[in-house]
Amino acid sequence: MSTNRHPIEQEELMAYLDGELPTDRATGALSHLEQCPECQALAADLRGVSQKLLTWEIESPEAGIPSEINAALGERLQKRATAKVSSPKLENRVMTSRWVWAVAFAIICVAVGLQLMLTGRNRNEGRSTAYPSMASIEQYLMPDRNGEIALARSAAPEAISSDAKILVLGRHGYEAAIEGKNGFVCVVERSWMSSFDSAEFWNPKMRGPVCFNPAAARSILPLTIKRTEMVLAGLSKAQMIDSIKIGFDKKELPAPEPGAMCYMMSRGGYLNDAVGHYVPHLMFYVPLTDKSSWGADLPDSPVSLNPQFQGAPEPITEFVIPVGKWSDGTAAPVM
Amino acid sequence: MTSDEALMLEFQGGSRAAFEELFARYREPLYGFFWRRLNNPERAEDLTQEAFLAVIRAASRYEPRALVRTYLYGIALKLLAAEQRKFSTHNKLGQCGPEPTTDGTPECVLWVRQALEKLDAPEREILMLREYEQLSYSDIAELLRIPVNTVRSRLFRSRLALKSYLGSAAKPNPALRANAGSRTQEDEACNEHE
Repeated sequence: MSTNRHPIEQEELMAYLDGELPTDRATGALSHLEQCPECQALAADLRGVSQKLLTWEIESPEAGIPSEINAALGERLQKRATAKVSSPKLENRVMTSRWVWAVAFAIICVAVGLQLMLTGRNRNEGRSTAYPSMASIEQYLMPDRNGEIALARSAAPEAISSDAKILVLGRHGYEAAIEGKNGFVCVVERSWMSSFDSAEFWNPKMRGPVCFNPAAARSILPLTIKRTEMVLAGLSKAQMIDSIKIGFDKKELPAPEPGAMCYMMSRGGYLNDAVGHYVPHLMFYVPLTDKSSWGADLPDSPVSLNPQFQGAPEPITEFVIPVGKWSDGTAAPVM
Repeated sequence: MTSDEALMLEFQGGSRAAFEELFARYREPLYGFFWRRLNNPERAEDLTQEAFLAVIRAASRYEPRALVRTYLYGIALKLLAAEQRKFSTHNKLGQCGPEPTTDGTPECVLWVRQALEKLDAPEREILMLREYEQLSYSDIAELLRIPVNTVRSRLFRSRLALKSYLGSAAKPNPALRANAGSRTQEDEACNEHE
């Protein structure tokens, strides 16, 4: 396979399959992969090796914490508790040189205070200036239409996305690129689908492939369409929030239908600077509720709350459940 | 879900529950790590325990500069290297290390094990860290102290080599099968992954 005919190297193709390429390269890789039988064969080979390796499963070890670890743990925690109590000898020494400690403490306070002020300022500056406003529309558009279609499809397993309707982002909003047959709609969302207070609301690198099931296509996708239209029309965040509130009040925007959910299992997405590709997951939409109703974010619960909407302003709660495989069936990183 | 790093800091602060949660999350992965490299469940159990004992002893020195996952596999790699040194010394002295376990092992797994053994050790380690421990290229690079590009190129080579070994008409080494019966119900498990 020569790079003259292939825009990506073989190693890069492998890195794409491993979810290790940045989004711009991943999109190119995915787009090429869809059209190149030679690369598809290599990808199948690489996946085949991974699947064969996974036949080697290991039985679970015995449950419970072994006694040696329990003992060492108890000892360590005991020592730590003891260390908290000052010894009289040490206390005397501290008492006799209290003024030395007071001066040292004052110096440390001043130094730490200055450091915190500087760090805090830098952090705030970073937060507020990284993506302070909308970038040029070109930065949000994907020049390769086929690449965007392939990326959108990669949100769900092929058995679902191959018959789904595909939308791609144009200069005036989302356009139907391919009509579907099964009621699912796949789309690559952009950064403005983050919560309005997100520091990455205008991050032009963000690409969020999603496949909505029919109930979500009818009741959640309209929000993606509306937010996108408002962004492209140049509305401010405050204007968008007002418009969404009015839309719900007047019932122009629908409430989430029972069973509304979506697939986000693409290894080619880039959800934000903080999590990158993240892990493959499913999302479930319900009318605004407390996260405790799903046991979200509790210890050992696989469910977490996505704060994307949560009443600010959309009256919708979104729960996330990670899954173990990417849409192509390969194993995903452990959370 | 509380992050591993937050749990580690809570444990540093004296929380037993935080340690227990970390133990629950990583006991199986670490056990699998040792098992696959030593082919010996007893030693895998012992070394998993030693890894957690090392975490307890070094808790006060932990700094959240690296992911807990990378930190734990760093400990595991050191323990593994020590174990391998120990057995290599024993072998030089004419003593044998533990025999690989094969009882009840499905044929396809023996095949995978044999193919992995044919790889160069550094490439095998990278492949296993990626496939079984699901570490990222940069995590592997950090653990093995090699550039990320080296991880990528070695991983690619090792996958192609493994494909060729697995694809060849070779059958599992009969010697490895010596203690195992003929086709067992475990072999049926192979087909589930095909």
